[in-house]
Amino acid sequence: MRRTYLGEFEEMVLLMVALLNGEGYGVTISEALAEHTGRIVTFGTVHNTLIRLEEKGFVTSELGGATTERGGRRKRLFRITAPGSRALQEIQQLRQNLWSLLPPDILQPGNV
Amino acid sequence: MKSPVQPPRWAQWLLIRLHPDDTLEEVSGDLDELYTYWYKRSGKARATLYYLLNVMSVLPPFVRRRKTDKQYYRQPDYPATFSIKTMMIQNYLKIAFRNLKRQKVSTSINIIGLAIGLATCILIMLYVQDELSYDRYNEKADRIFRVGLRARLNGEDVSGPILGPNAARDLQQEIPEILKATRLLRGAEFVSNGTSSFKEDNLLYADSNFCEVFTIPFLKGDPKQALTEPNTVVLTEETARKYFGNQNPVGKVLLFSREKTPHRITGVVKNVPANAHFRFDMLVSSPGYDEQHIGWIYSINYYTYVVLPEKYNYKELEAKISRLAEKQIGGELEGFLHLTLKQFREKGDDFGVFLQPLTSIHLHSPFGGNELTPGGNMLYVYVLLAIAAFMLLIACVNFMNLATATAVRRSREIGVRKVLGSVKGQLQQQFLIESVLLAIAALIVGLLIVGLSLPFFNQLTGKILTLSLLTNAFVATGLVVGTVLVGLLAGSYPAFYLSSFKPVVILKGRITAGRGNFNLRSGLVAFQFFVTISMIIATVTADRQLRYMQRQKIGFNREQVLIVHNTQMLSDNETLFRDKIIQSPLVVTGSISGQVPIGNSAHDNSPIMSRENPDKAVMSRFYKVDNDYIPTLGMHVVQGRNFSKNLSTDSSAVILNETAVRALGWQQNPIGRELIGHIDDNGVKTYYRVIGVVSDFHFESLRQKIGPLAMFLGGNSGNILIKTRPGKLPQFLASLKQQWESFSPAAPFSYSFLDDRFKQVYIGEQKIEQVLTLFSGLTIFIACLGLFGLATFTAEQRTKEIGVRKVLGASAGSVVTLLSLDFLKPIVIALAMASPVAWWGMNQWLKEFAYKVTVDWWFFALAGLLAIGIALLTVSFQSIKAALTNPIKSLRSE
Repeated sequence: MRRTYLGEFEEMVLLMVALLNGEGYGVTISEALAEHTGRIVTFGTVHNTLIRLEEKGFVTSELGGATTERGGRRKRLFRITAPGSRALQEIQQLRQNLWSLLPPDILQPGNV
Repeated sequence: MKSPVQPPRWAQWLLIRLHPDDTLEEVSGDLDELYTYWYKRSGKARATLYYLLNVMSVLPPFVRRRKTDKQYYRQPDYPATFSIKTMMIQNYLKIAFRNLKRQKVSTSINIIGLAIGLATCILIMLYVQDELSYDRYNEKADRIFRVGLRARLNGEDVSGPILGPNAARDLQQEIPEILKATRLLRGAEFVSNGTSSFKEDNLLYADSNFCEVFTIPFLKGDPKQALTEPNTVVLTEETARKYFGNQNPVGKVLLFSREKTPHRITGVVKNVPANAHFRFDMLVSSPGYDEQHIGWIYSINYYTYVVLPEKYNYKELEAKISRLAEKQIGGELEGFLHLTLKQFREKGDDFGVFLQPLTSIHLHSPFGGNELTPGGNMLYVYVLLAIAAFMLLIACVNFMNLATATAVRRSREIGVRKVLGSVKGQLQQQFLIESVLLAIAALIVGLLIVGLSLPFFNQLTGKILTLSLLTNAFVATGLVVGTVLVGLLAGSYPAFYLSSFKPVVILKGRITAGRGNFNLRSGLVAFQFFVTISMIIATVTADRQLRYMQRQKIGFNREQVLIVHNTQMLSDNETLFRDKIIQSPLVVTGSISGQVPIGNSAHDNSPIMSRENPDKAVMSRFYKVDNDYIPTLGMHVVQGRNFSKNLSTDSSAVILNETAVRALGWQQNPIGRELIGHIDDNGVKTYYRVIGVVSDFHFESLRQKIGPLAMFLGGNSGNILIKTRPGKLPQFLASLKQQWESFSPAAPFSYSFLDDRFKQVYIGEQKIEQVLTLFSGLTIFIACLGLFGLATFTAEQRTKEIGVRKVLGASAGSVVTLLSLDFLKPIVIALAMASPVAWWGMNQWLKEFAYKVTVDWWFFALAGLLAIGIALLTVSFQSIKAALTNPIKSLRSE
């Protein structure tokens, strides 16, 4: 089956969307990224990545949750889709397979 | 309510102005929220900086635009939108293959029709390309020119491509623009390598600078030194193999002619390219500039070529050369005729020279018989190109017709596709892909046809064409692109026509093609049949003419006559050999003569005058014969008698043909009259007495009129003609060969049969007839395809009408008639238009022949009947099918 390519940063953003479980939008995703991975990225990067993920069908979005601190403007809330979670699982599966193939001592600190 | 902290207004303004509208709401909200967060954590300055940085990151060109909803949600089930196209194309291909498979007959007809059109086109292109490539292999092709002689003598144009031996040297010496001048002289010799001897008909005598002018690569030997010494010879690869096998021939010796003059081999060159205007098996060193015969118009036998500087306008040079020629030729004229060039011109005669570009010799030279090899004809190139264009056009139109006709059957598919959401563009795409697919299949089949028919085509045209030209990247791309274009063009009509149907109408089963379409189609059919009928008439005429020429009474008996060639090589033993042969019980008579009345043989035109009227000269052909000549060839003596061995006075006797008798004005009682047959330089006349008259016989082909002929008794070696009785020919030939070799002549034993030579004379006409038959067959075939397509289309269109007619009581026969008659109209129109055109064209062609058939009315009737018959046969297939369909089937869908 044709697989849509998922980049490393895209994978991170997608994981954050999954983590936030429906509460993810630009701000929370940026903060989660900074918190969990230590990466500080511009807002545009996150924004573009989310659009791209949506084009690929890995997330869906809807507008909602207007708050006063935003001047009544709505947020675009993201939610992971079935293909999105399948893609994440495949990546995880692939990594696990590869790890299980590694001889146990090869990544010991002494060897590197 | 406003948030307590606010990012800078101008940055917000920038964001609002430049950020895409559809995401502005969430993005500006998010950024404001972030600003608040940064403000709390790091203070105003940091927050403002971060804010600016992040605003920049969501401005064009950095920001990614959301696709519009329409683009976005059209195919929500497919994870990736960009794969829709390829998936649909896969689907189109699948449907296309299914369709083509389901309609095997029409698919194969369609492919074959276009394939034949393409194949014809490719073959003709190969031929034309070859014709146009003549002499282009020369590196200096554009700078080489041939100097020819323009001459008018006794009011007759005797121009030719040849000059006297000294022209080349004078040109090179006197005119500085001429970089090189070289000469070629053709010849034939008996050549022996000591053990076996061959007659070499393709000899060229060449100057030592031959290789500096023409590009013929040397395989062995030094091109600069090869022909500098007298009696040296350069062989082609093939000839070298013939004489010496795989040994290196350089330095070896070949013996030339009866005198066995040794010639040293100084080099081996590659075989002459097939597209050269000369052909040689051996290049022999030129006899050199013979000081005794200084001249330009003395022995006019030399093909003279000059090389000019690059980008030099040769027309300018022509004037210069003409001045030199006038000086030289003027001097020579004074020497021979005691006339200045001016006086000579006043007589109405003229001499001059002209330049001919090397690359135009093959196709544009007017001196057919005088050329080194028979030339081509630009007219044929144009005619062939026209045929190719017609064939391709007709094939494309048919392809389109058939594609449309079959596509109409699929209107329901189109309806369903439209209902399910196909837009026009997609349907167009689908049909275009299908027709391109068909066109490519046709190209493949066409190439196969070309590959298979190339040997036959080569035999027909006498060329050595190969497919290698097609492997040229440029040509190959051209072919593929051309085919795809044809596919697109042919597919465009059904694509645009069918995709524009309204689904409701189609699904209700009501499609009608406009009447206008039908007229266009009828016009095309009429055009196709116009071409077809013209071709049929041309073929019939050519066939009649060929048969006429072969059956025409030629005035002598060509059956059972064997000709032994080159008997002059037996020198004194020629008569002995003849006398030995005729003792065989298989031989009736045998005659020695250089003149054979068919094909190329020595001929000599000289004036004869009657004694009583010596001023009136009759140009007549001279035959030197022995007393067995007339009986051997079975010529008919109508008055008087044949030469006799026993009368010594016959040495001053002459036998005339009837035409000569008429020309001399001796219709009454020619026997016993005297004519002047020869006047020597001192004015002494030799008289001959007429002893007999033979009935006219054709001594050339039927293209020429029979001219006056005078036969004299006299030694004239060259051939022995033997009239044989039917019998054991192989044994007889073997014994002849044995006897020939017992004299150990320098020439090998060779022979031919008179009737074979007779056939050879008409080989050109035979080829024309074959080509015509081939092309008329192909046009008939392709025209039938067109008709078939049209018939299918109309039958399809009128299914309902036929159904209603049948329900109302029409018989199958009346329906067939109804459908077929429609097609007779265009054919009758085509016949009416083709007849005068073909009649005119064929009369032009027949003008070449002195003896010819007339173009009879029944040629046209035959062509018309043939066309109508074939057309009805083609149409009836469809119309009978339509007429026999059960009306329930055709009407139920309403």
